[in-house]
Amino acid sequence: MKSILLSGIFVLGLSAAAYAQEAVIGAILPLSGSSATQGEDQRRGMELALEKINADGGVLGHPLKIVTEDSGGRTATALDAAKKLVTVDKVPVVLGEFSSGITIPIAQYLLQQDRVHINIGSSSTQIRTLGKGAFSVIGLDDVSGAFAAQDVFADGAKKVAVIAPNNAYGQGITNAFAAKFKSLGGVITSAILYTEGQTTYRRELQQLAAGEPDLYVYTAYGKESATINRESFELGLNDKKWYGLYLTMCTADSDAQYVEGQIGMDLNYIGGNGADYQKAYEAKFKGGFTSTFNGFAYDGVMLVAAAINKANSLDPKKIETAIADIGKSYEGVTGPIVLDADGQRSAQPYLRLKVESGKAVATQ
Amino acid sequence: MSDFIVHVTIMSGLYALLALSLNLQAGFGGLMNFGQIGLFACGLYGAAIAFQFDLSAISGFAFAIVAAALLGWAFASVGRNLQADYWGIVTLALAEVIRIIATNEDWLTGGAQGIGGIRPFYFDLDSQTRQIAILFTVLALVLAAALLCRHLIGGRYGLSIKIMREEPQLAASLGYNTITLKRQLMAVSSVLAAISGFLFAHYISFAGPEQIDSSETFLIWAMIVVGGLGNNIGAIVGAFLLQFAFAFIPFVKDWIGLPTEYVAAGRLFLTGGGLIIFILWRQSGIVPERVGGGRYV
Amino acid sequence: MFQFLVDVLMRACDLMLVAIGMSAVYSLMKFPNIALVQYAATGGVLAIVLQKTGMPVVIAIAFAVLLTGLLAVILNEFLFNRMLKIGSSTAMIGSLAVSMIFSAGFLVTVGPSPSRFAMPLSRPVRILDARITEPQLLSFAIVAAAIGMFALLYFRTDLGRCMRATSTNEVLADATGINTARMKTIIVLISGVMAALGGVAIALKGEVDIQMGMDLLLPVFASAILGGLGNPFGAIAGALLISFAETAVTAVNFGPLLGQVVAFLPVAYASAISFLLLVAALLWRPRGLFVSEVKRV
Repeated sequence: MKSILLSGIFVLGLSAAAYAQEAVIGAILPLSGSSATQGEDQRRGMELALEKINADGGVLGHPLKIVTEDSGGRTATALDAAKKLVTVDKVPVVLGEFSSGITIPIAQYLLQQDRVHINIGSSSTQIRTLGKGAFSVIGLDDVSGAFAAQDVFADGAKKVAVIAPNNAYGQGITNAFAAKFKSLGGVITSAILYTEGQTTYRRELQQLAAGEPDLYVYTAYGKESATINRESFELGLNDKKWYGLYLTMCTADSDAQYVEGQIGMDLNYIGGNGADYQKAYEAKFKGGFTSTFNGFAYDGVMLVAAAINKANSLDPKKIETAIADIGKSYEGVTGPIVLDADGQRSAQPYLRLKVESGKAVATQ
Repeated sequence: MSDFIVHVTIMSGLYALLALSLNLQAGFGGLMNFGQIGLFACGLYGAAIAFQFDLSAISGFAFAIVAAALLGWAFASVGRNLQADYWGIVTLALAEVIRIIATNEDWLTGGAQGIGGIRPFYFDLDSQTRQIAILFTVLALVLAAALLCRHLIGGRYGLSIKIMREEPQLAASLGYNTITLKRQLMAVSSVLAAISGFLFAHYISFAGPEQIDSSETFLIWAMIVVGGLGNNIGAIVGAFLLQFAFAFIPFVKDWIGLPTEYVAAGRLFLTGGGLIIFILWRQSGIVPERVGGGRYV
Repeated sequence: MFQFLVDVLMRACDLMLVAIGMSAVYSLMKFPNIALVQYAATGGVLAIVLQKTGMPVVIAIAFAVLLTGLLAVILNEFLFNRMLKIGSSTAMIGSLAVSMIFSAGFLVTVGPSPSRFAMPLSRPVRILDARITEPQLLSFAIVAAAIGMFALLYFRTDLGRCMRATSTNEVLADATGINTARMKTIIVLISGVMAALGGVAIALKGEVDIQMGMDLLLPVFASAILGGLGNPFGAIAGALLISFAETAVTAVNFGPLLGQVVAFLPVAYASAISFLLLVAALLWRPRGLFVSEVKRV
């Protein structure tokens, strides 16, 4: 008991001391779990942003510090992390997460606690309705779903089957895709939302195949997509074409031979000003982008730093106003960011991709 | 930091209610309930569904209580003559079925996504005062629950429960209807578990199927075994001890610089290790059951 | 149609060996050993890890399986026997605690991401209208071989006869001069080996992750109980029945009934079905489908 008290006082002292010397913001990322690959990539984007900001003098004359917590890919853990960031680290802004199913509850909590939330990786259309104080530097799925539907229809497929995770992201993008595809005259033979965290998806895939579609549309987080890609190969389902929504996320953890020849769409993750950023990433991490999401994390942190400087304060309300202001026209590494009235990114360009020799390359 | 300690205390209080409930069933009644989290789910989802469909919190509460009492009664009725460990497996299976239904029926429970943004209690207070208000509410409820359990166990009813636990055939020969006793006990303790779930939903502002996984039941079991089976104070002690230990694992991890997996592993290790140590070397737990005459705790 | 049969067989192979181990040891030790499913996970994970260090697959599997069997014996000697002296319910909770420690161990050694055998890519073979991959055939071969050898041992050898005697009536077996302590150790070893082999069979077909053990728990219980505890070969029938129910539930196309092209039950309900079958079995046929001996439930 005594040791617990002592350690508590120790930590209290440390955090108080730290707070006095640095400007601190928070981040919640999936550093473990099925999206660990993407979470780590987001962390890298933040690290690059942090280096740049502190090299340029920090914020308000202090170095900027980001307290990063692991969500473990689970909502309860993420909420605990959010509570800790708010009550122990007392941050005014939190960035994160990656999966819409986790981003939404933590944003709801943060807004209740009158903090600012920046979405750097989720795209569910439900995020639009979160309210004041919630911003997204990444485009939502109402646009991406429609883009994919047009792409698939133009490719010649008239009957498709869709498989996506059973959460806010999967539901949102499936609905957006289906709405557009049907309006173009296509047919969805079946749409299956799979439960995350299983070691096999054979049954789901067999159910999907029963509808005999022309093409399969899928989206899955890194590790689960590895299973789905392998099992669709084993079941012989990849005789038909597979279209991946956010293709790099779907193929990042899969064996190259299972995903060869897949087509799909993904975020246009590098804008006109992104060349320097890309060079810096490749130099520091010795290799190309491992996912399309690091740039958005970078832009998120840079935007927050600019807002803190503009507001000249760490007060959440002032930061919120400053972000809305800067967001009217901000040049990020992922392209021009314009935040609309709901705080969401209004223009998000996408790319068409194809997997060749294990890498997703842009087509046309 | 003090905010964090308030948060951990509130969580400990909520788990203490669950521990008291399971202690009634397992500690006093000898009922090996491995589906405790299913009863908790009645409270959790009762609150969440009421919020989802724009009903008042009171109606959510009423629904939760009724559902839990019925479910507890059903648990007790299932397999009336099943041996304790088999019955445990049945309750485990039933709780898992409840979780699967919660994961799949989006229209009702929000599916795997869960239901978020549930309005917290005392929402018109500012966040600091709100935490303190919730803290005192929860602690008061824990006290009330402990007194209720003591009252329940201290009288004739408690004696009949204990006879049923130790010598079921003797109890039957004395004229006690063991099935009725079990049903009553399960109904009462289920209501307690549901109250905990209801408060949980309004505190965390989120209800999802991951919170009603079977591993949560195992955690509550560890709390009552470590704290002391058959002792209400023991149940509360076990809950607070384990919750505080868990809350400080991330800090320990940061100091030693271990990767994140160690947090989850640390919790499992503490829970499992604590159980084994107490089973083998201090079977009565930290606060042992008081046997014999005198006041009961 | 043939694909359906193949799927049923594949799923049954997942469960069979572990269920046999569970059945053999449950009737002997008189408590449900939850840690047994973790032996399956250990077998799979250990074999993968050993293969990564450069051993050929066959040797890695052999070593992994033997080591797990030994681990089972050691745990039995030092932990479960002592817990059993206190009570069967206590032993069940103890086995739960041990299983948690296994999970913690997996988390810090192999981490939370799934692991796979390093195997060359193989295109599926078409047999009738089903697609089967080589690893699946290999897995099936292992299961069949293990069952065959166990049957030989159990029914044709002297040792097997002694094992059967000890499982049926320990006191009587002791009286006839059988060294029951040694028999118990051998049965625990064999059940550990069977469980580990079952884990390897699952690992060969796909992936193992740390959740694998607990995911197997209820279906394996269901198979063992349906087959009748103490009747290891009944567990085979139990496993087939459970896997048939699970596969059928998700393979039936309700589309025509509802006026759609395809309409299936969500896959998660497959496990719900096996859980409900378990509950039904415990309620109405607790001695199993093939009642041949008097068994306590």
